[in-house]
Amino acid sequence: MTELGVNHFLFLSAVLFIIGMMGVLTRRNILIIFMCIELMMNAVNLSLIAFAWESNTMYGQAFVLFTIAIAAAEAAVGLGIIMALSRQVYTVDVDEMRTLRD
Amino acid sequence: MSWEVVIFYLLALVSILSAGGIVVASNPVHAGVFLILSLFNTAGIFVMLGAEFLAAVQVIVYAGAVLVLVLFVLMLVDPDDLPEFHAGRPVQRVVAILLGVILLLEVGIAILNRTIVGARGNADAMTIEFLGGNVQAVGNVLYSNYLLAFEVVSLVLLVGVIGAIVLALPERLGERVRHRRDTISLAHARGVDMALPEGVRGESPIPVPGARREEPVAEATRELIMTRDPDSYTDAGEPGGSRFRPR
Repeated sequence: MTELGVNHFLFLSAVLFIIGMMGVLTRRNILIIFMCIELMMNAVNLSLIAFAWESNTMYGQAFVLFTIAIAAAEAAVGLGIIMALSRQVYTVDVDEMRTLRD
Repeated sequence: MSWEVVIFYLLALVSILSAGGIVVASNPVHAGVFLILSLFNTAGIFVMLGAEFLAAVQVIVYAGAVLVLVLFVLMLVDPDDLPEFHAGRPVQRVVAILLGVILLLEVGIAILNRTIVGARGNADAMTIEFLGGNVQAVGNVLYSNYLLAFEVVSLVLLVGVIGAIVLALPERLGERVRHRRDTISLAHARGVDMALPEGVRGESPIPVPGARREEPVAEATRELIMTRDPDSYTDAGEPGGSRFRPR
C-alpha cells in the first residue's frame, strides 16, 4: 500500500476496463459506446506499459504506440460509419438498428 | 507514504471517477469531456511509469484528434436521432454490474497469483539515459525490431483515412445539393448557394442591373402566410401556380 508496485497499475487498468465494459453493455447511444471502447483500449495500454515497466523493457511501449495508431484508424472509420448510419437510418440508437438490408 | 503514492492515488481516483462519468452522463458532450479528463489522468500515470513519449502521444492523439472527431460527428448527427437518456433497461444494468464484478474478481485473482516468466530486460534508467531519453529508446526499438510492423501500421492508417472518406461522403451528388440548401453559405448573401439548381435559387448572388430584384420570403413569414388560405394568393392568370404552394 505504501510502496508502488505493478499491481497498483494493473488494478487501475482492470477497473477502467470494467467501467468501459459496463458502459458498452448499458448505454444505447452509439457515440457513447464508441467512447467506452476508447476507454477500454486505454486501460489495456496502461497495463501494457505497466508490464513493460515491471520487466524493464521497451517492447511494451512500442506495442502501445501501435495500439494508439490502430485506435486512431478505428476512430476515423467508426465515426464515418456512425455518420453514414445517421444519414441512412436517421438514428444512432443501437436498439433501433435491427436490419441488415439497406 | 511517499509523494509518488499520493500522486498515483490522486490520478487513479480522478481517472476512475471521470470514467464513471462517461457511463452515467446524459449529455454526450459531457461524456466526451469526461473521456478527455480520464485520458489526461492516464497520461499522467504513463509519466509515472517512465513512458513520457507515450503520454505526449496520448494527449495529442486522443485529446487532439479522436475527441475532436467525436465532438465533430456529435455536432453533425441530428439531435433528434440521439436516444434520450436512460442507461439501458434494468435487466441490462443488472447483467452489466454482475459481469463487471465477476470479471473484476477474476482479474484480481489473476493479478495476485501471477508469477513472472522470462528474463528481465536491460532498459533500466542508466541505459535509457545513455540512449538520450525515452523518445530515443522507443525509437530504437521501433525502427529496429518492429520496422515491418511500423510500415504496416502506416498502411493501415492510409487505408483507414480512405475508408473514412468513402463512408462519410454522400452517395449521390444530388443528395449533397439537397442538404446544402439548409446550410448558410458565407460566400453569398442570404445563404443562396451557387450549387443549387436554377429553380431553387432564390436570387442571383450577383445583382443584374435592370433586373427586378425579388426579395426571398423569409422562412417565418412563409409559415405565417401558409397558415392562411393559400388560394387567396393564387394568381387568376396561372391556375394552380402559386409560389406559396406548400412544398
